[in-house]
Formats: sequence, structure tokens, C-alpha cells
Amino acid sequence: MNDIHIGKAPPAWIVLPFYATGAVFFLVLTILLFLSAEDLTRHYFSPHLLAVVHTAALGWGTMIIFGAAYELLPVFCERDLYSKRLAILSYILLTAGIAHLIPAFWWFKAGGLMITGGSLVFMATFCYVLNVLFTAQSTNNHLIHQRFLTSSALWLLVTVTLGLCLAVNLRYPFMSRNHLDVMKLHAHAGLAGWFLQLITGVSVKLVPMFLISKPGKTKWVQAAWILQNTGLILFLFDNHLNNNAGRDMLYAFVCGLGIIAWLYFLYDVFRNRLRKRIDLPMKHTLVSFIFLIAALMTIPVAHHSISAKWTLIYGLLLLLGWITSIILGQTFKTLPFIVWNEHYKKLTGRSSVPLPSDLYNLRILKCQFYIYLFALASLVAGMIVNNLLIIRLASILWILLAGLYAANIVKIMFHQPNTTNENGAR
Amino acid sequence: MEHDSIYYGQAIEALRGVIDPELFVNIIDLGLVYNIDFSEPETIKIKMTLSTPHCPLGEAITNGVENVLQDQFPQRKPIVILIWDPQWSFEMVTESGKQQLGIN
Repeated sequence: MNDIHIGKAPPAWIVLPFYATGAVFFLVLTILLFLSAEDLTRHYFSPHLLAVVHTAALGWGTMIIFGAAYELLPVFCERDLYSKRLAILSYILLTAGIAHLIPAFWWFKAGGLMITGGSLVFMATFCYVLNVLFTAQSTNNHLIHQRFLTSSALWLLVTVTLGLCLAVNLRYPFMSRNHLDVMKLHAHAGLAGWFLQLITGVSVKLVPMFLISKPGKTKWVQAAWILQNTGLILFLFDNHLNNNAGRDMLYAFVCGLGIIAWLYFLYDVFRNRLRKRIDLPMKHTLVSFIFLIAALMTIPVAHHSISAKWTLIYGLLLLLGWITSIILGQTFKTLPFIVWNEHYKKLTGRSSVPLPSDLYNLRILKCQFYIYLFALASLVAGMIVNNLLIIRLASILWILLAGLYAANIVKIMFHQPNTTNENGAR
Repeated sequence: MEHDSIYYGQAIEALRGVIDPELFVNIIDLGLVYNIDFSEPETIKIKMTLSTPHCPLGEAITNGVENVLQDQFPQRKPIVILIWDPQWSFEMVTESGKQQLGIN
């Protein structure tokens, strides 16, 4: 058999720990959110909220993305993953780093604990970046989704480098700049560099695949890459050199144009899809774009408002809205396939095998979808009206949501093949 | 020649048992199989493609092809040859495949 182009996904034991640990950190995140309910009515620079944000961005978002990326890199680059060892090493370092950072932020232990955590996350990122660069480098086709994947990895490196500098600066001050100003750069390198560009690149490849659509507006994706990077680079340099020169809205606009170009591409893919029925994981993904647009609309409000709550709502819509909704959906477009492949790839055609979508509980997924929408809407509403009771009730819904998600993850991961059902009809 | 035609029909029916796990449609109706060659007495050569190069489920699909053909023709060795030219496109999906995908 021609072995050159066939999919050689990395073994499941490399990818599964990321998903399992991501689910655990999602549960931790929701519990911390409940315990931080009062902090959500105050300024965003608080130890508890820093712990919540880093649990969301690293423990939840980055953890799952690393796992999914190691599975998908061979698809994107049309070659095998460069190094399985680096992948495992990145998991160990990232998990250890987050386990240091969360308590360091929660109890605000600036010093050894925080710096060690930041250093471990930096090393994990370095392993990830090497794997991405070397996997993408040796391919013949330098496609636009590969470019997004590479640039997002480099932005993650910028983000964690700035984060480590901030952690060191808290204990051993060396920066001449205001800590909050540098934190703004750190946060936006993470959001508009790492998360936005990675999600753009992945969606450009996967959404047409899942919806069976022929992408027509590929020039819009090229424009998206240029605009997203231009906006972010100008924002970082201008803020660094001129110390908040008041042109943030201009750069947000340029970056926003890049997002519009990308969303226009996706809209065209959606409109021309052959597969009319949209399954629940894809619905989760599609609604995430509403939260992204909502977050973008809060930028001018947050920029002009003296109240810090709009900045908090902006961050919340991005982390718990846009990114979380994508992960809650795409987990069920990736994880069941990974586990299914492990159990059934040698049995296909020979005995009755379940479909990957049979590996999770659809009823739980439906509950997850509606509870998620209600939990997010009530949390945002509670923050807008500054009502602690609504925020607390919403946080309880978030814990329930994380429990449902974890239950389905456990069901998929511990799936046992039913070998007695030979030759049975599906 | 007559035997080839019978074998061909049997192979097509057997290959309908190989389902794309994401699209839930068999590989014949998806139009992934380009050619089935019985010209050599001890082998069956299948020229086929995948909807996505380096698809993580590609191995499962090619294993499925080998499994069903081995069961149907135990005296022959199935050989799967993956090709990317012509590239698979939606136009290759059969009418039955389109119905299964919910395409009007």
C-alpha cells in the first residue's frame, strides 16, 4: 500500500492526557469562578481573577488545543508529527506549570512558585513550538492554514515570554513600564495572536471538511492573516514604544477587519455546504462566533468606560464564550474519533463497529449545550447589573456544565469495544 | 471477462460495507474508489483516494477495504493503492450518497 499520504495519527496515549487534564481544569475553573463571584463585581486585577483567567487560558483552552493540535498537525501538514517525545514533554511541563501558577495567583505568592510555574509553561510552549515548526517546515505545500498554525504558535511564545517577565517583575521589579500596561500586551498577544490565529487556521481547514463545502473565498483568509497580524503587531509596538498613545481602537479595528474577513470566508463555506444537517458539536462551534462578535462590540464600550466591568465582560465573552463554546463542541468532533481509531481501525468492514459519534452520550451533550447557553447568558447578565446572587447562581450552572462535559469525556475515554456483536447490523 | 464482471460486482457490494466514520456513507457512494483490477490471478488492486489527505481515519478506511476484500476473495491478496490525482470532489458522490448526506 502506498504509505506516503496515509494518515498516521499519533498514538492515542499522546493525545488523551491533554483532553482528560483539560476536563479536570475546566471543573477547577468553574469551582474557582464560583468562589470568585464577588471578585467579578470589582476590578479585574485581583489574585482570584488572575487564577481564574490562567486556569481558563492555560488549563482549559491551551491544554485541549495542544492535544487537538498534535492529532491534527499531520492532517494540516500532510506528514507525521515531528516528535512524540516533545509532545509528551510539553504535556508534563504544561500540567506542572499550571499546577504551580493557579495557587500562586490565587494566594498571590509572587516569587518562587509563580516564577517556577511561568518557567514550566514557557518550556512547554517551547516544546510545542518546535513540534509545530518542524512538522510544518518539511512539507511541500505551505498552505494558509499552516501559516496560521505557525504564527499562532509563535504568538503563544511571545505571550508566555511576556507572562514570565511579568511574574519575575512582581518579585524582582525590573520593568520601567507600568505592570498593567505590559499585562494588556500579554493578554492581547494571547487572545489575538495565539487563540484567534490558531482557531482561524483550524476552522479554515476543518469547517469545510465537516460541512462538506468547497471553500471559494480563500483570498479572504489570506487577507485575514495579514490584517490580524498587522493589527496586533502595530498594537504591541505602538504601546511598547509610545506607552499607550491612544491608537488602540485603530489597531482593534484593523484586527477586527481580519476577523470579519475570516468570518466572511466561514459564512460562504456555511452557505455553500452540501451537508444541510448541522450536528450538535458544530452548532456549539457556530454559536461561538456570536460570542466573538459580542466581545468585539464591547471593545469601544470598555475603552471609553471608566468602569472596569466592561473589560471583564470582554474577557469573559472571549474565554468563556468564544473559546469555551468551540472547545465544548469540537471536543466531540475529535476525541471520539481518536478513541474510535484506537479500538476499531483494524476491525472496519469485518465486524459491526459503532460510529465515533456513538461513543458519547448525545442526551448529555444536548443538556450541555443548553445549560452552557443559559450559564453564559446569566453570568454576563449578572455582571452587567452587578448582582451577586445572579453571578453565584450562574457559577453553579457552570459547575454543573463542567460535570456534564467531564462525564462524557470519561464515557468516551473508557469506552470498551463490544466484541460479541459480530456481524450485527447497524 | 465474464468472471471479471462478476468479481467486480461482488467487490463493489463488499466495499459498500466500508463506511466513512465521519460522513456515515460507504466509500463506493462517496466515490472514493477509482478502479478495481482483477487482471492478476492472485491479487485485487484497488485504486482509491481519501476525502482528505493524511486523514487520521485513513488507515481505518484502507484497513476496511482490505478486510472486506480478503473475506470476499480469500484466494486473492488485496492491494490498496492510494492516489491523489484526480483529487476527490463532491461531484464524485453518487445519487445514493447524496441522499444519505441529505443533499437535494
